[in-house]
Amino acid sequence: MQSSRNRRPGELGFNLFLFGVSLFLFYSAYGISGFEALSAPGVVPMATTAVMFLSAGRILWDVLRRPASDTETLARDIIPLPIIVTIVMIALYAVLLRPLGFIPTSVLFLFVMIRYLSGHSLGFCLGTAAGTVALIYLIFRLIFSVLMPQGIVPEGEIIAWISSIF
Amino acid sequence: MDILSNLLMPVVDLKLLGLIAVGTFAGIYVGAIPGLSVTMAVSILISFTFSWDVYPALALMIGIYMGGVYGGSRTAILLNIPGAPSAIATAMDGFPLAQQGRAGEAIGIVTVVSFIGGFIGILALALFAPSLSDFAIRFQPRDFMLLAVMGILLVGSLSGESLVKGVFSGALGIAIGAVGMDPLTVQDRFVFGIDELRGGVSFVAVMIGMFGVAEALSQLHSVNTPAVKQKISRIIPAWPMVRKHLPLGLQTSTIGTIVGALPGTGGDIAALMAYDYAKRTTRNPETPFGKGAVEGLVAPETANNAAVGGAFIPMMTLGIPGDAVTAIMIGALFIHGLNPGPMLMVEQPHMFWFIVGSLMLANCFMLLFGLTGIKLFVKIVELPRTVLIPVILVLSIVGAYAVNNSVTDVYWMLGFGVFGYFMKEYGYPLGPIILGVILSRLLDDNWRRAIISEQESFGGLMRGIVSSPLSLCLFTVVVLIILSSTPAWKMLRRKRTA
Amino acid sequence: MLKSLLGAAAVMGLAALPALADFPEKDIQGIIQWGAGGSTDTVARSVTPHAEEVLGGKVILQNVTGGVGAIGLNQVERADADGYTVLFGAENPLLYKVMQLGQKDYSDFVPVNVLARGVPILVARPDAPFDTYPEMIEYIKANPKTVKFGSTGPGGLPSVVSSMIQSKAPIEVTFVPYDGDGPALTALQGGAIDVMPAVLGAAIESIKGGKMKAIAIFDTEAAPQLPETKTVVETNPEFGDILPWGPFFGVFVKKGTPDDAVAKLTEAYKAGAAHPDFVKLMEGRGYKMLSLTGEEAQTYLNDWQSKTSWLIWEGGIAKKSPEEFGIPKP
Repeated sequence: MQSSRNRRPGELGFNLFLFGVSLFLFYSAYGISGFEALSAPGVVPMATTAVMFLSAGRILWDVLRRPASDTETLARDIIPLPIIVTIVMIALYAVLLRPLGFIPTSVLFLFVMIRYLSGHSLGFCLGTAAGTVALIYLIFRLIFSVLMPQGIVPEGEIIAWISSIF
Repeated sequence: MDILSNLLMPVVDLKLLGLIAVGTFAGIYVGAIPGLSVTMAVSILISFTFSWDVYPALALMIGIYMGGVYGGSRTAILLNIPGAPSAIATAMDGFPLAQQGRAGEAIGIVTVVSFIGGFIGILALALFAPSLSDFAIRFQPRDFMLLAVMGILLVGSLSGESLVKGVFSGALGIAIGAVGMDPLTVQDRFVFGIDELRGGVSFVAVMIGMFGVAEALSQLHSVNTPAVKQKISRIIPAWPMVRKHLPLGLQTSTIGTIVGALPGTGGDIAALMAYDYAKRTTRNPETPFGKGAVEGLVAPETANNAAVGGAFIPMMTLGIPGDAVTAIMIGALFIHGLNPGPMLMVEQPHMFWFIVGSLMLANCFMLLFGLTGIKLFVKIVELPRTVLIPVILVLSIVGAYAVNNSVTDVYWMLGFGVFGYFMKEYGYPLGPIILGVILSRLLDDNWRRAIISEQESFGGLMRGIVSSPLSLCLFTVVVLIILSSTPAWKMLRRKRTA
Repeated sequence: MLKSLLGAAAVMGLAALPALADFPEKDIQGIIQWGAGGSTDTVARSVTPHAEEVLGGKVILQNVTGGVGAIGLNQVERADADGYTVLFGAENPLLYKVMQLGQKDYSDFVPVNVLARGVPILVARPDAPFDTYPEMIEYIKANPKTVKFGSTGPGGLPSVVSSMIQSKAPIEVTFVPYDGDGPALTALQGGAIDVMPAVLGAAIESIKGGKMKAIAIFDTEAAPQLPETKTVVETNPEFGDILPWGPFFGVFVKKGTPDDAVAKLTEAYKAGAAHPDFVKLMEGRGYKMLSLTGEEAQTYLNDWQSKTSWLIWEGGIAKKSPEEFGIPKP
């Protein structure tokens, strides 16, 4: 990557963040058991967070010395719009998964995402979304008995009703 | 004679033959889809085969196991998303090959070397099971600790351009692995008062996030560039090519068998260690590691398939599971009225030979199914990314959920996915994080056991290491690995070769 | 089956007739609080198919592990109290409060069936310099701190048995913690530890195979699978007042579940536990069948909790006094 010469946009902030996290985790690891004994539950966490903290410091030092990139911008090269949209969509998915249930959330997510990324017709997007979810449901729920969050579609009752017919 | 008839039982009985075939075929897909794991499939089969006889039940499970370990490599090569933790190393050289349009060739090589690795593991099970399990069981906490340290040192091989970033990632992984209630003392670690964190962060969730979501996000950069056209003329690798890598494959199969036979370590660690071994011992690879080196495919794939046979070694001889899947199989034997333990081989040797025979057969089916149908599989890479990426995201979510039926794991997976994306962007390698998570407990628990056993005396621990030949041997390897990466050693070696 | 239930409901004059007639009207989710391949998992997976026959519906089993089983327990507790989420648990939750592992325990649940209990046994590596319990105690007293006991963390069976031993004869040993009795018994065979308190079922095959030796059975009566091994009460009668004791497995639903659902599940699991295949399986592994339901099960749970909580509190393992949670002294 070209980043070995110039500092990429946002790189400084991200490394500052990692440095801060390391420091916080080290503090938290110290709180587990202090220096009670060599076999204490906090010994390995303290050692690893110390390594994190030191290496993060070293990386930060390197990053600080490099000149900022003048050819890249945060909005174009690191988080262009499609990536922001995807991250937001993923967050929405996580929030809606429990209340709406797996089936409607996934269909909705796929529909919006495919439509946004590919710009195919509404019918194609809806068909692909519904087909994919049906396939996933078949494999995970019916064959592997993974009970996904049910939400608003009473799938448990529907399956019981269908199987009662046979 | 008796042995032979039991060994051939799955071959002559058409029903068993069919079940092993079906199991292996299904296993490849179970392994290929991240989030569907062999462990999960086998535990569901316990209920599914409850009323069956023990032989068909085992035949199906063995098929799934063998196919599943191999199947993990498929998505690793095609999408850079390892289907199972044991395929993480495979992605490092497999995906670059797919990007060069050589996915079919890569899958072909992986299939053949997986077969070879599987074969060696089963052979070791059939011939040396008692002595190997005797060796494996002698590993003391300090030996497991040294093994974990050896594993941690793989960070060097997985780091890519910046070692210090690799070290950071590895340490972060170990810290993530420590999250939750410490089972040895019931003390909370990195829990911050959040109840859901008590159970720890599911490492499959971390893996799917880091490799599935983060990869999908970074592929969004080039969402509109057309997919690489795949050449699929040559799938079965040419014999000279196989022969060239056979010595390496045999060595890494040995690593896989032993690591698989050790209780508490499985194919995931075996594959990473083998990759590291290949990287250290291969003098002049045709293609550099990380850019599509064939050695980078041979080593992990022989090792993780050899670990299957290895995992059965302590299970069959002592009733001790070699990994998570054999643990469930022991439960299955028990449900079917058998008593897995040291007496099983004495009282029911036919069970041992039946399992060896079924494994052999599953291994052959793996080769067969692996080499056919590749053309269809490779088409996945040629699908438009605008459709593929959303589907990968949904599959990642389902997969993370399915591991422990937990929505919290989904949140973690998504969180690590976004975090992993930024790490990738800023040049942090993700492999060491997974390595750290895998090794975290092995290192932490055994360090504490080792030091407790010596009454908290570090000197006592060192004396213990020096006085045991096994520990001393492992310790020497650790020291050599560390020395060989110092600048002084490298200079020495360069002088000698010059 | 359906008719008799309908009849019973009519007699009791319940209003919710249609719902009652149908339970279960969809798949039931069964949460196992321990991992695949463990003993709770094996027991749950072997009793459920028999229970399903009576239930007339499917129970989909899933392992929800972590936090000494607290993660799985909390998940069932958060679900609706409609009988469609069932917990397969072991004894651990009864110690959550005193161990500060969680705020919920079986008092938030209704026992469907307390299936069976395990018999604790003390095993040692085959070349250990003692064969019986009194010899072991003597050896430990002569060599303080050198004997290594395996443990599975505070609150687990080994810690409770060790507390029992300590309460009768204070000894100095080194406890080496493992994350389950499987790994600890493996370590015993490799010589990393000397003695391990375990459940009979987990050790029986290795004892028969000569990979470890039985020191004493921690129960009031000898085990039919190991007739030569003495019980600790035979050599040391002072243990008579705390034994029998043992870890158990049970099926639970959240408190507030409709009575008809509890009744149906109880009936199903009672029948499942009585199935000859299941009984044979459990006894072959050295478990004692209990199959307690209703009041009986509740009493068993309460007694177990009070006995064990106080034992580990006095042994210095518990973090909070059982008194704080209103657990009576036995």
